[in-house]
Amino acid sequence: MKLISCVIRPDRLPAVKEALFRAGVTGITITRASGHGGERDTVTVRRGTKLLLQFHEKVKIEMACSEPFVEATINAIVDSARTGMVGDGKIFVQQLDRVVRIRTGERDNAALTPVTVDAVQKHSLQLAEKN
Amino acid sequence: MSKLRSIGARLRTNWKDPLIRRHVGLLFLGKAIGLGIVLTLITRWFLPAMLGAQAATPAPALDPMATVNAINTVWTLVAAFLVFGMQVGFVLLEAGFARSRESVNILVEGIADTCICGVTFWLWGFAFMFEPGNGFIGLHGFALQGLAATYGTTGVALLAFWVFQFAFADTCSTITSGAMIGRCGFIGDLLYSVGVTGFIYPIIGHWAWGPDGWLATMGPIAFHDFAGSTVVHTIGGAISLAGAIALGPRLGRVFKRDGGGPMPAHDLIIGAAGGLILWFGWYGFNPGSTLSALDTAGIGRVSFNTTLAACSAGLTSLIYSYVRTKKWDLALTTNGFLAGLVAITCPCYWVDPVGAFFIGIGGGLVVVWGIDALEYLRIDDPIGAVPVHMVGGIWGTLSLGLFAAGKYGAPTPTGADVSTVVSGLFYGGGLGVLKAQLIGSVAVTAATFVAAMGLMYAVKATGTLRVSPEGELEGLDLAEHGSSAYPEYMISGSESVILSVSAKDEAA
Repeated sequence: MKLISCVIRPDRLPAVKEALFRAGVTGITITRASGHGGERDTVTVRRGTKLLLQFHEKVKIEMACSEPFVEATINAIVDSARTGMVGDGKIFVQQLDRVVRIRTGERDNAALTPVTVDAVQKHSLQLAEKN
Repeated sequence: MSKLRSIGARLRTNWKDPLIRRHVGLLFLGKAIGLGIVLTLITRWFLPAMLGAQAATPAPALDPMATVNAINTVWTLVAAFLVFGMQVGFVLLEAGFARSRESVNILVEGIADTCICGVTFWLWGFAFMFEPGNGFIGLHGFALQGLAATYGTTGVALLAFWVFQFAFADTCSTITSGAMIGRCGFIGDLLYSVGVTGFIYPIIGHWAWGPDGWLATMGPIAFHDFAGSTVVHTIGGAISLAGAIALGPRLGRVFKRDGGGPMPAHDLIIGAAGGLILWFGWYGFNPGSTLSALDTAGIGRVSFNTTLAACSAGLTSLIYSYVRTKKWDLALTTNGFLAGLVAITCPCYWVDPVGAFFIGIGGGLVVVWGIDALEYLRIDDPIGAVPVHMVGGIWGTLSLGLFAAGKYGAPTPTGADVSTVVSGLFYGGGLGVLKAQLIGSVAVTAATFVAAMGLMYAVKATGTLRVSPEGELEGLDLAEHGSSAYPEYMISGSESVILSVSAKDEAA
């Protein structure tokens, strides 16, 4: 299991989200972030005084993947987030020790398998019918 | 008694003290001098002045027309100030319904358009629009030179009338910027703004509102536009449609038929407050257009009709939004009551309450259809300027031909003139008024749209109409104005410039 986090341009977010969903990664956490990289600083003006904005607005996405999904996820992000200009962002991949799904207490790979409300509701209805 | 006796005893004792004697003496001497001065003044100055005033001829009786003109001028100015207040409503509405990254751009454009409009309207806009020339353009009174002290037969002081009409022209130019939010470059905005407030609005407005405009003098029934459904709103809406087409949609805008929808409004509180401020300003826009406070029934009726149409239009689009989406939509309701206000702007003087109610309902419906049509045609109008102002304006102009009550004529400086009344189709007036309205609406809409397409593509040819894709993605606030409306929402680190390499380059 790996924790993949990436920093991307805010305007690439819709494309990246679509690519991740196509790759089967639907469990993602998104944060608005500011940071510094290789880009040129933005010039701002405050009542006639020039100042530099050193940090650029970015979006950070985090997702936990089981091993078979890691390469596909990385490729999906790279293909969808790239513009070719400095400031496209980076992907960080870290080893993940444990994963627990809070609702069920499932562990590790079982906890990473995506489920949806509709599927869960259907399942519980079937259980209720059986009983 | 004993009290008096004790006071007398005290005075007798004190009088023996020479210091107290001197004090009392000085006190009375001072009072005597003061009394002397006052008496001298009264006898030498006030009395002769009063007697002289009585002897003079009594003050001449006030000219009643001067009083009438004073009241009407004050009324026009109050209305002008209210209409100017609509600028606040417009910038709030536009900023609220756009994304936060283009808020500063909207504010600067609103202010710059107002300033440009003031100068051009002084130099030539007023002359083009309100002064005699031929049926298509006014050619007299450039820079307000050589004009009478009052405007036409209204008796309103010329400059007060100018301020009122400047506020109208400004409204038209601000409507235009609404459909072009988020991707229009600032130089491009300045250029087309000169074209709109300096040429398109005054020249086409002259047709309907100029003393010898061809629509105003058209026979057998002249074109009627009381406060500007066509002149202000349809012109503004048609220009904004041309602007939105020339610009193309914002980057990342996906339309409904492609599986998307409008981009989010960044602050609905600001947007809805702006809409309500516009409604408030409309109480200057419509009732003030009588230019006469002495037509008391008229200004009351116009205010009432304005209110009722806005209410029925807001309710219509509120219910429409619920029927369609099962949610009570704020943005659609705000656009709905604005469309009702736009629609009632033309017929507000000539319709009765029932007519105003149905005109409002029509406004609430056409604005939703207009929004759908633009979405289907893949035209990106971030705040709905085209559905509200162009579509609502056309509906309002035509509605006069249906709902004119046949009881009201025209306001005059001293009251109402009902010698020739306006009657619509539903009130036994036949098709005459509807035909005149149709001719006026089609002529103005088509001419404006063609002229605006020419203007927008001319500005586009200079390469200033649209910002670069990078600037658009970064946001117009930073790219064009170097400031963000909400700098504290993002950790920007702008206080220190020491760490930055490019800062050193700039300092060197």
